[in-house]
Amino acid sequence: MSEKFDVVIIGGGPAGLSTAYFLAKAGFEPVVIERGQEPGAKNVFGGRIYSYVLDKHFPGWRKEAPVERWVRREKLSMSCGDDTITIDFAKKKPVSDDEFDSFTAFLSKFVAWMSEKAEEQGAMVLSGSKVDDVVFDEKGIASGVFADGERIDADYIVIAEGVNTLLSEKLGIRVKPPLETTALGVKEVVRLGKEEINKRFGTEDWEGVAHFFIGDPLKGIAGGGFLYTMGEYVTIGAVIRLSEVGKKEITMKDIAEQLRLHPAIYEYVKGGVLMEYSAHLTREGGLMDVLEKPYGPGYLVVGDAAGYILNTGFTIRGVDLAIESGRLAAETINKAHNENKRDEEALSHYKKLVEESVIGRNLREYRNLPKFLEKDLLYGDLPEIMCELFNTAYTTDEQVTRIYPVLMNSLKSHGIGWFTLLKLLMEARRSI
Amino acid sequence: MSSNELEEKPLTVEKRLTLTKFEIYEKPHIIVDTEKCEKCEIKPCIKACPAGLYSLDENGKLLFIYEGCLECGTCRVICPYNAVSWSYPPGGHGVWYKFG
Repeated sequence: MSEKFDVVIIGGGPAGLSTAYFLAKAGFEPVVIERGQEPGAKNVFGGRIYSYVLDKHFPGWRKEAPVERWVRREKLSMSCGDDTITIDFAKKKPVSDDEFDSFTAFLSKFVAWMSEKAEEQGAMVLSGSKVDDVVFDEKGIASGVFADGERIDADYIVIAEGVNTLLSEKLGIRVKPPLETTALGVKEVVRLGKEEINKRFGTEDWEGVAHFFIGDPLKGIAGGGFLYTMGEYVTIGAVIRLSEVGKKEITMKDIAEQLRLHPAIYEYVKGGVLMEYSAHLTREGGLMDVLEKPYGPGYLVVGDAAGYILNTGFTIRGVDLAIESGRLAAETINKAHNENKRDEEALSHYKKLVEESVIGRNLREYRNLPKFLEKDLLYGDLPEIMCELFNTAYTTDEQVTRIYPVLMNSLKSHGIGWFTLLKLLMEARRSI
Repeated sequence: MSSNELEEKPLTVEKRLTLTKFEIYEKPHIIVDTEKCEKCEIKPCIKACPAGLYSLDENGKLLFIYEGCLECGTCRVICPYNAVSWSYPPGGHGVWYKFG
């Protein structure tokens, strides 16, 4: 005997649970099938979520969601050798909590909270069960799934399988991700205690730091290091494109170590207790990675699985876009259901909604950035030139040195002429 | 002093993996067709796996273990010969992140 639900959602991450939340709110009976031991068990990200999407749809979230710290300090470091240049941007202290536009979090805990919210609305979340196949009826419309050998039927299927698109590839709507736009993130969580963190970072209890690193800790490879302060913990990690792994002398299992032991980072985590080591893939191609057709007969694709990931250079945004895509999927299913339709054309409405939404607008606006960010110049030459400049500006001895000739020499020794600079500027104009 | 208190020296990946929680399934979820690996010169899986689960034996043959897999999917994506059949472990098994 098989079970029947209105909607089966494959994957209980931010996108899947958002879909369930909005569907249940609209009166549907959705079930989320999650392979993890509990919601959040398989989720990994760097550490930051943007507030706007929660402000719009989850009243009261600022008091109840598992927020670690509100991000007030944004830092960017460039290192070469043991020298580091850091820009530290402290936003003005807000008058009230409602003004913070982002916060640090553990995705595992945030997803568990989203799961509670979906269940409050009446959605069912089934953890510890893995979907292996999508079932199509005689008309070719998706009508159920096989999870651990058991069949579960539904009027609509939502694929929220995340960045590893195994099911989508099986359905023939995706190919194996290309190395050029796929990146591996590794993360370490270090317990330091609230007071120690506040002391080391000069913050108050509620105040969070988001810190981004390029240059030497990562041996000049195209990628970035990150550090976020959590309530009692600091998370550090790196995101490296897979196309870089083959090219240069780096080993991914050591990259988190290299970062942790670099003087620019070690001073922050020294003496802390390592709690967990994790890894997760992400996509950095922006619009290039977006699924052309995130719908089909009886099904929709949401979140990372659909490629809704935005690489802005300093940060990779995914959770807010996942939540938004889940909402739009729920809206589409609601509309199709009211018209008593399950066909591809009815569900194509989802694509239109996504394109008009914050997802489509951002991905289009940033479409040239992923290519721009591939430039080795940004990760190797730029930090070195900056360090030479700063070393000159802040070193005083008997030598007579002005900054400008040093800059010219430095550019020359890196083989960067006026033409290269001009070209870079032109490209930047179109991408950043 | 706790054994995982950070000092200014590297921790092996094996040590770091003991901190991550796993519910290991009895059968592997990664199958590698090591015959295909023989013609692969670069073997990017060895450098790319963040858990260091791929290595070479003394005869240069590819070895891998699935215990300690962080389920990132890198080996599947990076393999130039599609030699890695990779699926997730059955529901309720594998890595169990608390701070993901």
